[in-house]
Amino acid sequence: MTSITLNNNDYKKEIKQKTAKPLLWIGLMSIVMFFAGLTSAVIVSKGTAVWETIQIPSAFAISTVFILLSSLTFYLGERSIKNNQLAKAKVFVLATLVLGLLFTVTQYIAWTDLYKNGVVWAGSESSAAGSYFYALTALHLLHLLGGLISLLVVSFKTIKEKYNAENLLGVQLSSTYWHFLTALWVYLYLFLIFIA
Amino acid sequence: MVALVAIVAVLLIVISAVQTLKIAELWAINKGKVIYEVTKKQNKTQALLMLVFLVAYFAFFAWQVWKWGDLMLPVSASEHGVVTDRLLNITYAFIIPVFVITHIFLFWFAYKYAYNPNRKAVFFSHSNKLELIWTIIPSIALTVLILFGLSSWNEIMTPVDSEKEHVLIEIQAQQFSWNARYAGTDEKLGRAGVEFIEGVNAMGIDIKDENSKDDKIVRGEIHLPVGVPVQFVFRSIDVIHSAYMPHFRAQMNCVPGVKTQFNFVPSITTEDMKKITNNEDFNYILLCNKICGAAHYNMQMDIIVESKEDYEKWLAEQKQFAEN
Amino acid sequence: MSATHHHHEEQDFLFKYIFSQDHKMISKQFLITGFLMGFIGMVMSTLFRLQLGFPGESFWAIDFFLGSWAENGVMAPDKYLALVTMHGTIMVFFLLTAGLSGTFSNLLIPLQIGARDMASGFLNMLSYWFFFVSTIIMLISLGVEGGSASAGWTIYPPLSALPQAIPGSGLGMTLWLVAMAIFIASSLLGSLNYIVTILNLRTKGMTMTRLPLTIWAFLVTAILGVLSFPVLLSAALLLIFDRSFGTSFYLSDIYIGGQVLEHSGGSPILFEHLFWFLGHPEVYIVLLPALGITSEIVSTMSRKPIFGYRAMVTSILAIAFLSVIVWGHHMFVTGMNPFLGAVFTFTTLLIAIPSAVKVFNYITTLWKGNIIFSPAMLFSIGLVSTFISGGVTGLILGDSALDINIHDTYFVVGHFHIVMGLSAIFGMFAGVYHWFPKMFGRMMNNTIGFFHFWITIVCAYGVFFPMHFLGLAGVPRRYYTNSEFPLFDNMLDINELVTWFAIVAAFAQLLFVFNFFYSALRGPRSSQNPWRANSLEWTAPVEHIHGNWPGEIPEVHRWAYDYSKVDENGEYVSGEDFISQVVPLGPNEKDGGH
Repeated sequence: MTSITLNNNDYKKEIKQKTAKPLLWIGLMSIVMFFAGLTSAVIVSKGTAVWETIQIPSAFAISTVFILLSSLTFYLGERSIKNNQLAKAKVFVLATLVLGLLFTVTQYIAWTDLYKNGVVWAGSESSAAGSYFYALTALHLLHLLGGLISLLVVSFKTIKEKYNAENLLGVQLSSTYWHFLTALWVYLYLFLIFIA
Repeated sequence: MVALVAIVAVLLIVISAVQTLKIAELWAINKGKVIYEVTKKQNKTQALLMLVFLVAYFAFFAWQVWKWGDLMLPVSASEHGVVTDRLLNITYAFIIPVFVITHIFLFWFAYKYAYNPNRKAVFFSHSNKLELIWTIIPSIALTVLILFGLSSWNEIMTPVDSEKEHVLIEIQAQQFSWNARYAGTDEKLGRAGVEFIEGVNAMGIDIKDENSKDDKIVRGEIHLPVGVPVQFVFRSIDVIHSAYMPHFRAQMNCVPGVKTQFNFVPSITTEDMKKITNNEDFNYILLCNKICGAAHYNMQMDIIVESKEDYEKWLAEQKQFAEN
Repeated sequence: MSATHHHHEEQDFLFKYIFSQDHKMISKQFLITGFLMGFIGMVMSTLFRLQLGFPGESFWAIDFFLGSWAENGVMAPDKYLALVTMHGTIMVFFLLTAGLSGTFSNLLIPLQIGARDMASGFLNMLSYWFFFVSTIIMLISLGVEGGSASAGWTIYPPLSALPQAIPGSGLGMTLWLVAMAIFIASSLLGSLNYIVTILNLRTKGMTMTRLPLTIWAFLVTAILGVLSFPVLLSAALLLIFDRSFGTSFYLSDIYIGGQVLEHSGGSPILFEHLFWFLGHPEVYIVLLPALGITSEIVSTMSRKPIFGYRAMVTSILAIAFLSVIVWGHHMFVTGMNPFLGAVFTFTTLLIAIPSAVKVFNYITTLWKGNIIFSPAMLFSIGLVSTFISGGVTGLILGDSALDINIHDTYFVVGHFHIVMGLSAIFGMFAGVYHWFPKMFGRMMNNTIGFFHFWITIVCAYGVFFPMHFLGLAGVPRRYYTNSEFPLFDNMLDINELVTWFAIVAAFAQLLFVFNFFYSALRGPRSSQNPWRANSLEWTAPVEHIHGNWPGEIPEVHRWAYDYSKVDENGEYVSGEDFISQVVPLGPNEKDGGH
């Protein structure tokens, strides 16, 4: 069977420009449903099981501040690229990366605080509330790890000045995902307050 | 050796099939046919087969009803079962005509409108009127079914009023047997849990609970008094099981960590059912109906329904928990 | 964009065939893998049908296929459960979800909407290879110690969480969960592509209301997948936590193997809710593509527009919407709040309405048509029959009061096999017969196709119709044998009859396998539009081209169903009984259907 190929691969580029963002949005939809499943699991469990009250470590509040700031810096970084202010962009993007890492660290601190307060994830000492606490935050962090990897790539490319006002799809995709993680965290944080 | 012969045989069959097919195709091409088009003759045959199938399918349905109709469950042995059986018959009265009529239209049209090059198909692409008709009529039919169903459901799922006379039985499921416990004269079941399971105390009853003392544990078969509401409480100590008592139109999952309930009023004694089914060996039965492990297929307990006097005699003979 | 004819031998074999990013190649990969898995699932069912029809009897086939799972040619009871579990898992997910959607969504979406390829060929390629990996892991789980997962394809805990409860719940179950997690990723990647491609890459003139019904079905199916598969993932994750890390999401108050387990506070019912939140939409994810395919084929082969295009679209949307709010009908006897049960009965019975509308529309499409009985058309008509037959028993099962006595009996098994094991697979067969020329540039043999259809439909009804009687008589499902209860002694004959039909049906599929491979390799070459159909895929050249059309992508001027369109004089508008979508409307012509 002969295989005739179109000479130019331009159509692939054009398709990519048109569809990368919608693809990401649908992907975000599936992540929302994943956490919706977990949310309803919590609600069902809360209705049936003995529910331990949990003191929320303050480290989680600090996490929230860090991630909100990181969204701000990422937004500013993206805007800088759009305005071709590449020097500023580098600062903001790297700041986002740092804040993202700080978020991760404070999450870990929060977990150790929980553990010190006797909230265990599994085993005979555990309770449903505690298990969900760890599960929800850990799964969010897992998704954030993906965001950090994407952020690393974006940081690298920003430093190498690969982006400009016409060519910033990668940054937009990464920042969309990042803002999603922030919004998700805010929701989870409020939800944790509710279930604690 | 056998395997080798088998493989060779299969290969030979496949090769000859391939060659036969090739020959058939070359022969057809030779005769000027377009070999992959459905021929007029084939089309006619298939159209005819549509009708043949319609008749055969209905005949098959009828044959099954005739042959196995009396192997189905006998009349309901519980009061609510009479209601649900009636609901089932009403549902049949809807769905069987629908099944028959739609199939007739489907296969009759298929037969009647087989391809004819001298005919044109009719460009009939939509009709809001028709769509409305066959949306509204099913909706009305379904509303009737739903209303019927829901009123029955509500009644069935309501626990027995504890003020009324009733029998309270706890059925505990485990891999792969059933245990039953009757609440004693105090009409309360003592607390139980897996933490109390030890040795003979397979049901895990808390000895220290006052209410446990007069509970009566029963194995192998349970007895129920006819005409008296029976309130079941279900537990499981390992995996999900399901207490299925088909003659009473009763089923409820037994879930570890969760207590479930079901109740019914037995209405036909075992002796009477023996006469009705013309089977001296008949027995009501409790079986497991949720996959629970290797011996899921053999987890059973007999149920005897008898007169109130006989039941009380039997119950009096059962030992109280405190005596064990 | 202009085409240059130059042969691409330079393109690596690896990237051209193995890691292809071309949707046409990926669709074939899904097809072959899906059918392979389906074949394995079918062998499994034939084996356990042998056990059910002839309980305790020794069979060479059981010995040959099951090895250590069977002693003296008789399968062990827990391995029977392993077989039914894997049969269900393989058929529902690997054949009817990935195999069906993966094949036809990939093949048809770009070609029918007028796109060069999917939105992301890379993600599409990943989608297939994740599927492949999950297949391998699932198959490996058959060979591990303790056997494969054995708690039913529905894997309720605690049975699925505790190896002490059944051996398959050890390593086999772990591998099942890993395989399914990867499968879910594959499915989501596919769905992303399907949705974005349909919404964003339609050619000029291809408005949403000019889309063929296949595309509507694939779109809605993909959306359902995005909404429901992640919830299964969350359910599976919590189960993994309970099994491997000692959490208590689903487990509580368990005494097994002589000891009380530490788990406390969980509920297996939570798992059921999360599972069925996917599980119910899943069966519509299985069925909707088959319904879409049927619309296309019935219309094309009747030389008539599909009747009620808008109603068909609305029904697809209604079915999808309702499918998300009925999951509780799988849980009527779990002791759930009776009010909840009432709500679910209500929503479940409602689904009958759009389903009925579709059936009536298919039948009306046949009315006064000019029908050509290709094998694809036979299977499509067969689908309508099985959809009616299986659908009406859903009305009994969906009624909570009636479900009490037939839940988890053979009545349910008969119902879902007729709608999935028959309707959905018929849709798949129909699709293969019909679009074979598009996939391979050759035609399948019609005579073999006729035999395949008639033997299959007769035997399949022979297998599954009697099951309704078994269920009404109280015979539970997932029983290794029905010979332990005097109550069921009369049922043994029925079981044997069912098994005979099953064996014949299984062998009849070899006709299809032979036809498929013979035709793919040496079948007669097809013309560009052998079925004289309207939709866009038939305007693409027979030889595969990356980018589908050699020049510009065609522009669309009308809907896909102008079959036998006549003018006021009763003459065909185009001179023949079909008008391709790319043909511009005549001076007095209106866009069909409205």
